[in-house]
Amino acid sequence: MRRAFLAITGLAASTTALVVLKGSPGTSQVAQDLPAAQPVSPTPQGVDPSAAPDAGPAGTTPKSSVSAGAPSSPKPSRSTARPSGTRTTAKAPTAPRTTTKAPQPTTRRVTGPGVDNEYGYVQVQIVVSGNRIVEAVALSLPSGGESDIHSGDVRDRYNGTGGEVVQKQSANLNTVSGATETSNSYKQSLRGAIEQAF
Amino acid sequence: MPAAMTRPGLCRVEQIMGTAITLDLADDLPPERLRELADQVFAWMREVDARFSTYRADSEVSRFDRGEVLLSEASADLRFVLEACADLWGATDGFFDAYATGRLDPSGFVKGWAAQVASDRLLAAGAANHCVNAGGDVRVRGFSPSGEPWRIGIRHPWDPMATCLVVAGTDLAVATSGVYERGRHVLDPRRGAPAGGLRSVTVVGTDLGVSDAYATAALAMGAAGIGWLDRLPDHTHAVITDDARQFLSTSLPLTD
Repeated sequence: MRRAFLAITGLAASTTALVVLKGSPGTSQVAQDLPAAQPVSPTPQGVDPSAAPDAGPAGTTPKSSVSAGAPSSPKPSRSTARPSGTRTTAKAPTAPRTTTKAPQPTTRRVTGPGVDNEYGYVQVQIVVSGNRIVEAVALSLPSGGESDIHSGDVRDRYNGTGGEVVQKQSANLNTVSGATETSNSYKQSLRGAIEQAF
Repeated sequence: MPAAMTRPGLCRVEQIMGTAITLDLADDLPPERLRELADQVFAWMREVDARFSTYRADSEVSRFDRGEVLLSEASADLRFVLEACADLWGATDGFFDAYATGRLDPSGFVKGWAAQVASDRLLAAGAANHCVNAGGDVRVRGFSPSGEPWRIGIRHPWDPMATCLVVAGTDLAVATSGVYERGRHVLDPRRGAPAGGLRSVTVVGTDLGVSDAYATAALAMGAAGIGWLDRLPDHTHAVITDDARQFLSTSLPLTD
C-alpha cells in the first residue's frame, strides 16, 4: 500500500519535476551515492524523471501498471496527475530518450531546505525510486574563494584546448572519490528532503 | 505497483566523522545478514569517530594529546594509528605529518584506515563484493551489484557536479585530497604554510589509510609531489594542478 501511495505521488512529482527541471541546468550528482538498480550518472541526463511514468515493469500500459497496484487508492487518479493528452501517445512527448531506458520504478525528486553556512548556501535534492533513495544532488554548494578565482582563470587560459587539460567525463558510476565536503549544511538539507519524501 | 528493486545486496548512508559514509554491499546474502553486516560497519565507524575525533574533547586522541592518557595506557587502535602515522611521516619525507597543525591530528590517515578495516572485516565475514566510501575515500572489492568491476569517478576539481576521470577495478583503495572543499587546509609542514601548486591528488593503492596519507602528502609537496608519486611502488595516481593540467600514472586503471 505504501508503494502504491508512492507510485501515485511519484507520478505527480515526476511530472512536475519534468517541467521544473527542464529549466534548471546543472542538477546532477554531487558525490557519493548510490547506484541502486542501475548506476547513476554524474550528468543531468543520468536520472531522468521523465522516464519513470512510462516505465511499466513489463511493457504494460501505464494505466494497467497503476491500477494493479492501487485499485482503491484514495489519491488523485492518474488522469489528474498527468497532463491530459499524453495518454494517447503512451510516451511522454518531451522524453525521446525514454526508449533507451530500461523499465524502472517510479522516480521522484524531493528538494530539501536551503541552509546557510559560513562558506555559502547549500541545498540538496534527493531522487527517490520506489522506497529507496537512489541519488542525492547538491542543487547549491558554496562557491567563492579558491573555486571561483581559479575556475575563472582556468577558463580564460584553457578555453577550447584539449590534450592534457582536465576534462569532464560523464559515465555511469558506482561511487565518487573526492575531497571531504562541507557537511553539516548538506546534512541538514538532506534530512529535510528525506523527511519530506517519506 | 512499481517493480521491486531487483539488485542484490544493500546500500546505506550515514553521517559520521562529519561526513557521509556510504556502504554498498553487493553480495546476494539474506536481508537480515546484510543488515547485520551494515550495522557492524557503521558501529565500527562510530567507534572510530568517538575514539579519534579531534573535535571531541573527550575522545581518546584529544585526551592523549593533552597528556591525560599515556601511550602505555592507550587502546590498541590508537597505538596502531600512532605507529602508522610515524611510519608515514618517514615514508613521505615528513610531508604527511599528524602534528602539522601543532597538535595531534591523525585524521588524514584515520578516515581511510577506518574504511579499510571495515572492508577487511566484510571480506572476512564473507561479503567479498562491496564498496565503502568514507567522505570521498573509497575502498572497493569484488564486483558491483551489476556484476561488473566497481566504477569510481574522481570528482572534477572545479565542478562539484562533475567527475573528470573514472577508474574501475575489483580491489582498489582510492583516496583523493583536494584544496577545493575546505580551501588550503593542507599545510606544508616544512614551511607551516598552505601548500600550493596542486588542486587535487588521487592515489590508488590497496590500503586506503596509506592511499589517503600519500594523497595528503603529495598535495602538501606541491608540484614536487608529482615526481614523488611517480616513484612510489604499488600505487598509481591522478594529479590535477592549479592551472588545470592533469598528470596520470600510465598504469592508472582508467576506464571510459
